[in-house]
Amino acid sequence: MTRPKRPWRPRPDPAAPSRSRQRGGSPTPDPLPEPRARGFSAPRGVPGRTSGAAAGSWAGRWHLRRAPPARAAAGDRPRRCAQGPRHRHLSPADLAAAAGPDPAPPRRAHGPRSPQSRRAQDPRSPQSRRAHGPRSPPPEPTGAPRPQHAPAATHRGALRGWPVEKPVHMCGEGPQAPRPAPQRLRAPDGRLWLGWGYVDACGLRSPPVPRHREAPAPLRKSASGQCCTLLLFQKTLEIYSVELSGTKEIEKTDHGNDRERYRGLKNNCLELRKNQRKEELKKELDLDDHKLSIKELEKKYGTDIIRGLSSTRAAELLARDGPNALTPPKQTPEMIKFLKQMVGGFSILLWVGAVLCWIAFGIQYASNRSSSLDSLYLGCVLVLVVILTGIFAYYQEAKSTNIMSSFSKMIPQQALVIRDSEKKIIPAEQLVVGDIVEIKGGDQVPADIRLLSSQGCRVDNSSLTGESEPQPRSPEFTHENPLETKNIGFYSTTCLEGTATGMVINTGDRTVIGHIASLASGVGNEKTPIAIEIEHFVHIVAGVAVSIGIIFFIIAVSMKYDILDSIIFLIGIIVANVPEGLLATVTVTLSLTAKRMAKKNCLVKNLEAVETLGSTSIICSDKTGTLTQNRMTVAHLWFDNQIFVADTSEDHSNQAFDQSSGTWASLSTIIALCNRAEFKPGQESVPIMKKVVVGDASESALLKFSEVVLGDVMEIRKRNRKVAEIPFNSTNKFQLSIHETGNPDDKHFLVVMKGAPEKILERCSTIMVDGQEKPLVKSATEAFHTAYMELGGLGERVLGFCHLYLPADKFPENYSFDVDTVNFPTSNFCFVGLLSMIDPPRSTVPDAVTKCRSAGIKVIMVTGDHPITAKAIAKSVGIISAGSETVEDIANRLNVAVERVNKRDARATVVTGMELKDMSPEQLDEVLTNYSEIVFARTSPQQKLIIVEGCQRQDAVVAVTGDGVNDSPALKKADIGIAMGIAGSDAAKNAADMVLLDDNFASIVTGVEEGRLIFDNLKKTIAYTLTKNIAELCPFLIYIIAGLPLPIGTITILFIDLGTDIIPSIALAYEKAESDIMNRKPRHKKKDRLVNTPLAVYSYLHIGLMQALGAFVVYFVVYAQEGFRPSALIGLREEWEKDHVNDLEDSYGQEWTNYQRKYLQWTGYTAFFVGIMVQQIADLIIRKTRRNSIFQQGLFRNKVIWVGIASQIVIALILSCGLGSVRALSFTTLKPQYWFVAVPFAILIWVYDEVRKLLIRLYPGSWWDKNMYY
Amino acid sequence: MAALQEKKSCRQRMEEFRHYCWNPDTGQMLGRTLSRWVWISLYYVAFYVVMTGIFALCLYVLMQTIDPYTPDYQDQLQSPGVTLRPDVYGEKGLEISYNVSDNSTWVDLTRTLRTFLAGYSPESQENSINCTSEKYFFQEGFKAPNHTKFSCKFTADMLQNCSGLVDPNFGFEEGKPCFIIKMNRIVKFLPSNSSAPRVDCAFLDQPRAGAQQLQVDYYPPNGTFSLHYFPYYGRKAQPHYSNPLVAAKLLNVPRNKEVVVVCKILADHVTFDNPHDQYEGKVEFKLRIQK
Repeated sequence: MTRPKRPWRPRPDPAAPSRSRQRGGSPTPDPLPEPRARGFSAPRGVPGRTSGAAAGSWAGRWHLRRAPPARAAAGDRPRRCAQGPRHRHLSPADLAAAAGPDPAPPRRAHGPRSPQSRRAQDPRSPQSRRAHGPRSPPPEPTGAPRPQHAPAATHRGALRGWPVEKPVHMCGEGPQAPRPAPQRLRAPDGRLWLGWGYVDACGLRSPPVPRHREAPAPLRKSASGQCCTLLLFQKTLEIYSVELSGTKEIEKTDHGNDRERYRGLKNNCLELRKNQRKEELKKELDLDDHKLSIKELEKKYGTDIIRGLSSTRAAELLARDGPNALTPPKQTPEMIKFLKQMVGGFSILLWVGAVLCWIAFGIQYASNRSSSLDSLYLGCVLVLVVILTGIFAYYQEAKSTNIMSSFSKMIPQQALVIRDSEKKIIPAEQLVVGDIVEIKGGDQVPADIRLLSSQGCRVDNSSLTGESEPQPRSPEFTHENPLETKNIGFYSTTCLEGTATGMVINTGDRTVIGHIASLASGVGNEKTPIAIEIEHFVHIVAGVAVSIGIIFFIIAVSMKYDILDSIIFLIGIIVANVPEGLLATVTVTLSLTAKRMAKKNCLVKNLEAVETLGSTSIICSDKTGTLTQNRMTVAHLWFDNQIFVADTSEDHSNQAFDQSSGTWASLSTIIALCNRAEFKPGQESVPIMKKVVVGDASESALLKFSEVVLGDVMEIRKRNRKVAEIPFNSTNKFQLSIHETGNPDDKHFLVVMKGAPEKILERCSTIMVDGQEKPLVKSATEAFHTAYMELGGLGERVLGFCHLYLPADKFPENYSFDVDTVNFPTSNFCFVGLLSMIDPPRSTVPDAVTKCRSAGIKVIMVTGDHPITAKAIAKSVGIISAGSETVEDIANRLNVAVERVNKRDARATVVTGMELKDMSPEQLDEVLTNYSEIVFARTSPQQKLIIVEGCQRQDAVVAVTGDGVNDSPALKKADIGIAMGIAGSDAAKNAADMVLLDDNFASIVTGVEEGRLIFDNLKKTIAYTLTKNIAELCPFLIYIIAGLPLPIGTITILFIDLGTDIIPSIALAYEKAESDIMNRKPRHKKKDRLVNTPLAVYSYLHIGLMQALGAFVVYFVVYAQEGFRPSALIGLREEWEKDHVNDLEDSYGQEWTNYQRKYLQWTGYTAFFVGIMVQQIADLIIRKTRRNSIFQQGLFRNKVIWVGIASQIVIALILSCGLGSVRALSFTTLKPQYWFVAVPFAILIWVYDEVRKLLIRLYPGSWWDKNMYY
Repeated sequence: MAALQEKKSCRQRMEEFRHYCWNPDTGQMLGRTLSRWVWISLYYVAFYVVMTGIFALCLYVLMQTIDPYTPDYQDQLQSPGVTLRPDVYGEKGLEISYNVSDNSTWVDLTRTLRTFLAGYSPESQENSINCTSEKYFFQEGFKAPNHTKFSCKFTADMLQNCSGLVDPNFGFEEGKPCFIIKMNRIVKFLPSNSSAPRVDCAFLDQPRAGAQQLQVDYYPPNGTFSLHYFPYYGRKAQPHYSNPLVAAKLLNVPRNKEVVVVCKILADHVTFDNPHDQYEGKVEFKLRIQK
């Protein structure tokens, strides 16, 4: 279908503006019976990050960062669509308007003016970050092309100090955001924030006007958070729809000028109606519950907010609406899966064989009632084989699927609901609309709920929007748009802190997230590389089987064989050629590897993905949480005019900087005291770095840091009782608290302050050096700026610290501090030091990146984060290696203009989303090919798709890591999507093929290694399996041409394929890599085939032929020793097979009855079988390596091989001795010496292969190498 | 998962295939240049010559290890098979049916017998010697001409009434047909310890048929295979050996009724109870004589 890109078109509704204006103007009166906490009352006891998973789930998201300037442009035009009832139709225009970076008031003129917007324009509001911008020079080296965007200013500001920088994170988001920290610097209570700022591209938010002085801080985040949310959501939906209708459109969309796009959007919104799907979507979002009063809601849903629904009513509704659960992504019905196994691969050939058998039997039977039932049985056996292997493969796959589903179902969700006036805990699945539910910190919101009351409730909407900022939730209707209003909680989001009561307004698939999920599930899976390889292999083998079969059918017919006999031959040839057990083996092999990988924290959802990872040539890695630890950590300190490096490793064990200075003593005191974060109680035994902290990320970092360095921080705080405090807010950009000194004799009060460094410095008149207070002279200021710039340049968030001892005379012990009137000094402090924080790379990552690089895998960082931070992290983990420079670096170094630098000199580049937007696909290709080290920063989800596609255009196999709902299209688009197990949202995990249970990049490397190994080992398995096909096939050919008594029966062949060979071929999966597979290039998906010509030729024409000869020798030996010399056998077939000949003479003149001959023939089968088996042992051993000598590889390193060999022998013994009496199987007990007849051939095979490998090693690249290395 | 396989049009594929067959740029045919083909062919020729050589060597060694006179194993030939002449097979085995009054129904049967006995004419037996001893004819050395061993004569006339010499119709005409029973040769097989192996024919369902037992005239008398025909020393040692025969003339076959006759060989070392092999040590046939 031709897909309109914009999913929603608002219907013009003339009534709407007034309505919305009215609503906007007077928020719904609060009907709640309980007093809502309005003050700074957020219960802080609620852990901010209660569940690791929940809190983490926003890690590494690709956020939409700032709105492109296009939005601003869009804002200027009359917003026809937008003027409609916006709550009904969430049009992109609405989104743009709501979230838009549009700083220009005119646009508002057309729309309903909400109080928020007014506030936003309030000149007094300190919102404008631009004001700060100019003050400090932008530290970003890459900034050159950017200036025209307002957001650029944001970046600059951001680096400067934390208050400003926040925006960077929120909108920039991204990937790192999760944890993060920065945003949580402010008071955790978001409720206070009523303001609704308009933000430029997410960057600037209008400062919310705090209603309560006590808690002024939180807002900034919220505003920008919302904005981002909106944009994101819009984009998200778009992505899904795009994905549904093909990816071409995405490119267009993204390459197109955003401006155009949005303009078009508005102008064309009326035309967009056609898309049925969108229409539905629109309906989905046609949500006005947030505007209704509680009374209206009660009426609408027939419920009572005190008593809840009655059980009976709930049951009715449950029956009507179905359970409150997402319909799992469309699954192939089990039956279809099963049937697919039955007809996939070689099964078709076997079915053909079986049908031919039955046809042959039918003809025989029609002509002669007493004809033997052999072909009937053979047909049945073939069908049985197909069904058994099918069941087996199905079972294997089901088992691996189960691993996944068990994983996702580990924690059944419960909901606390009020029904029949009682609070009950029921499974969340049983919720129905109208239920009154209570949520508290740590819970997942169990359905879409309209909030009725809340206390300090904040939710993490990141799984929905990718926005990492906790969002306050409260009962007030704050926005027309259901996605923006604060009184709706969305299904599957996590309540981070506080409590709330809400009414369920949507359940299951009708929830917003359910809707997105259902859109995403429409994206079909393509074949994995290994599936393609196996298909290729099946084609080869089937081609060989069918062509040989037909050739010999024709030969047989022209040799005057009966047509029926010829058909039987044909069947024999097919059966001999088809490695019946192989596909099952491959499945087992893959699932063994999957299991092995699961042990190493790579959970593989799709078995075939095991190998895909191995052929990966480009990894587009997320930054936050994958490359980094996903938590803010103190990285550097600056005091005494010196930068100290703090240990950022996972355990912080080694803080080696000089702690003797008096400055440090003061600084550490400030760090410990000026901090509101606390450890959650009850974690005494947990290592410090792992303790759960209540508080935002930066404060947590500081708390843990000081806990590590100073010891018990709580004790220090206890000693230095806090008497007053000004929490952080965006106006002040500092946090201040007043403490008693720990010394009971010292009656001074100590004021400690931390905040944006330049803000702090402004308030200082002295600086502490070596523990001495010195006047803040110019040189000291310069030193400060240098350090600040340097740390900022590392992409770190810098905080300044200062303190002041209040004179005891003016501030006696009983002095009452009033933070509202600020009856104490807030300037002329003593500057103590700087401290910078970063989300540090995981310690395993640099090594892993190096490994990837040596494995020929390009690691590209794609992050939503700020370019400077991204580049700093990229450098520290080696994505940009130590010696490489970007064009900008070179320009800096040479001190020339960027334009004058030869681009070829630069190996690394940092591409921002802004730049990417203006690139044509060709330019992107150029970037991808010309630079070996690439960082994409500030990218949007669509851009991520573009990048993935760009990589795929170059025939790369692309792995993508991601974790948000909004990542799921990219995860699907990638050849292998890798979701983060801890931080990942369910949608991402659903879309991904693999889940990293520990969110650790190093696990990907493990996966790559395993994937490559499995590819090699599959090659070996297939080579092993194919080899015997010739030995199985030759008997038929010789039988037809030379008329020997049949050397091996069809059933016997099946016993090799499905009996003796199965375990050995699986054993090859345990083979260790023969060389360092991480030091070679990833395989080229079109050139390096699983089954290539040398493999087939070598297996069939070399080893296979030897095996056939060896087996024939055994056969001839058996016949000769029983009386039939080889010469006598030629042409004997006809007489031999006649039932009526009971006195057939052998070479000695002895006469044989029919049965005696038959028995001898079976002995021949058994001998041939044993001959093949013995040589397959040699084959198994030689297949352990492809290049190295067996002795280099170690004959006994893979114990499973020996289990395989033992199993081969044991199965053969059982068949021969144990079942030798079962006539139908045509096995006989063989004389012991016949088991050894083929041994010389087995040795020959081994020797020949050793010679082959030796020559390959000696003459790499030679003719021999090319023809003999598979 | 991204699409890794783009669809190619048929035309493209053909073009690719043509390019594969003959690549003018590199002079490659089927992926190799001519000289490469020569090289690889040479390699394969050499490889297969060597392999064939090894195989031939194996067979040569095998033949060298095999005793030309006696097979190494006779596992399947523990007990000799028994065959019947005339041998007409139906769906389940031997089925002989004819009409006494209709020549054409049995003339084929007698012809079969005659043809079979042609090998027992005095002329064809002339290289054998006359044996009279009723004991095993053991021969240690190769005393016969051409480094062979002697074979005992068995001529058709020993079958007397069933030789075809006396009655060219072998008794078929009168409803008392002759059947010739032959025991398969097995090298160095000694059928019994003392007495000669004897043929015994009877109705299969004897006990129930009750009243009448099958009356049989055996030729040679008593239906024995004389012991001097044993042991058989194999084709190479006894090129002129002929199996001894026993003819059974069934005297009282009921008319217009299908009977199953089983002829067993009674000897110490001949077994006739192998459930899988109905021709071991015995031969069963259905007989229906119409009038």
